Amino acid sequence: MSNLLRRIEIPIFITIIFTLIQVIPYYVYIQPLDDAAAYIQRWILICLALATFVGVLSLLLTHGKNLQKRSKGWYFSAIVVVFTIVMSIVGLPLAEVGLGAANPIYLFLYNNMLQPLSGTMYAIIAFFIAAAAFRAFRARNVEASIVLLAGILMVCSNAPIFTVTWPPFKDIGTWIFAVPNMATNRAITIGAALGLVALAVRTLMGIERGYLRGGGAEQ
Amino acid sequence: MVTTVLGVFISGRVFGLVCLLVIMAATAYFIRQAQAGKVPTLRRLAGVDAIDEAIGRAVEMGKPIVCSHGIATLRDATTGPQTIAGLSVLSYVARKAAEVGARLIVPVRQTEVWPVAADVVETAYKLAGKGADFKVEDIQFLSSNQFGYSSNYMGLLMREKPGANIMIGAYWAESMQLAETGSRAGAMQISGTAQTSQIPFFLVATDYCLIGEEVYSAGAYLSQDPLLIGSLAGQDVGRIIATILVVLGGLLTTVGSRVLLDIMAV
Repeated sequence: MSNLLRRIEIPIFITIIFTLIQVIPYYVYIQPLDDAAAYIQRWILICLALATFVGVLSLLLTHGKNLQKRSKGWYFSAIVVVFTIVMSIVGLPLAEVGLGAANPIYLFLYNNMLQPLSGTMYAIIAFFIAAAAFRAFRARNVEASIVLLAGILMVCSNAPIFTVTWPPFKDIGTWIFAVPNMATNRAITIGAALGLVALAVRTLMGIERGYLRGGGAEQ
Repeated sequence: MVTTVLGVFISGRVFGLVCLLVIMAATAYFIRQAQAGKVPTLRRLAGVDAIDEAIGRAVEMGKPIVCSHGIATLRDATTGPQTIAGLSVLSYVARKAAEVGARLIVPVRQTEVWPVAADVVETAYKLAGKGADFKVEDIQFLSSNQFGYSSNYMGLLMREKPGANIMIGAYWAESMQLAETGSRAGAMQISGTAQTSQIPFFLVATDYCLIGEEVYSAGAYLSQDPLLIGSLAGQDVGRIIATILVVLGGLLTTVGSRVLLDIMAV
């Protein structure tokens, strides 16, 4: 029995059936299929809710071991463990006992820690881009020189000091953005969409097995 | 109220369905051809070829390998397949890492992907006969918050100083942070995404970058499975259709005709 359940065909079969139930109603209007797709969406939500616990357990496992071994930087792990436990408990959806998204401790941690930290991380991207631009904008060959030139023109078209000094900078920047940039962007998008369709076909035919255990190899 | 064509097909999606069926038929045809022994030749993907080199480098330096599959779920129509492609690469990297005895760390953002990633890696270790070397704590759920994940990943890179950092999947604003931090940590970096807004960041900050469709082809390329390689030829039919439509659409729009637009709107 256990060997039967471990057969690789089972997850492939499940993937094919559930994919088709989601894809067909996008193109074809058949009420029972629509209902089935909506029903599966509800299943997915339930599965996702359960998966949250997997995340918490993984986090506690990783950082718990760091604490246990007193690994380098163990105090950071202690902070993660403490706040994971606190947020998990006060965020439980039990409004009748004062827990959940409206809980004052949860709100305090969310508004005064999570949000500012997320905002800070987002903001420092500017510095990473500046550092990467410094390395990327070097005229090592013809292609890199074109990137450098386009980059300089785009900077000039976006910086008021340059557009005030020489207004055509704005038009040049707009042209670069709307013509060569857009053409490349669309070419990549079309190519990626075709790759996506091919991946979907491989998955539906059961030959794309990389996402299965061990790349789908039989044990 | 849903408007339909022929009472069944949803209006505005028929042309897309026809294109999809044609590409699917072409892909199926080339898979059949591959089964019959006619395997198409693939162009070389430098980024994918470099994966072995990156693993070897990490082993020689005695450093771990970090391999992530992006931050998207498995469910989204456009980004989910990138996660699947990333997991295919992870499967290959895990098998190689197990064979050469390198430590593999997998940062995960989505809780629903964690069991899949853990299963892929664990089985790869078992298939390599190194099941005892698999450490579940190395499949690390970092945070479901985008920048929580990003800061955790950056910290991981700076603490572990990996010899290789492989990032293939869907990434958003954190791509620059991860790639730049990996570069500072001294890792050989291979990246890949189909997110057009993030490709430039990966291009400038990593050693090799898979662009767009290369991400989806990576798993097939690595496996060298004739059936998977055959399916890639089916994409070329789609590419020919897309090119014809682009040229035809450009010409017809230039002369003021809306014929193609009307057909596509069916």
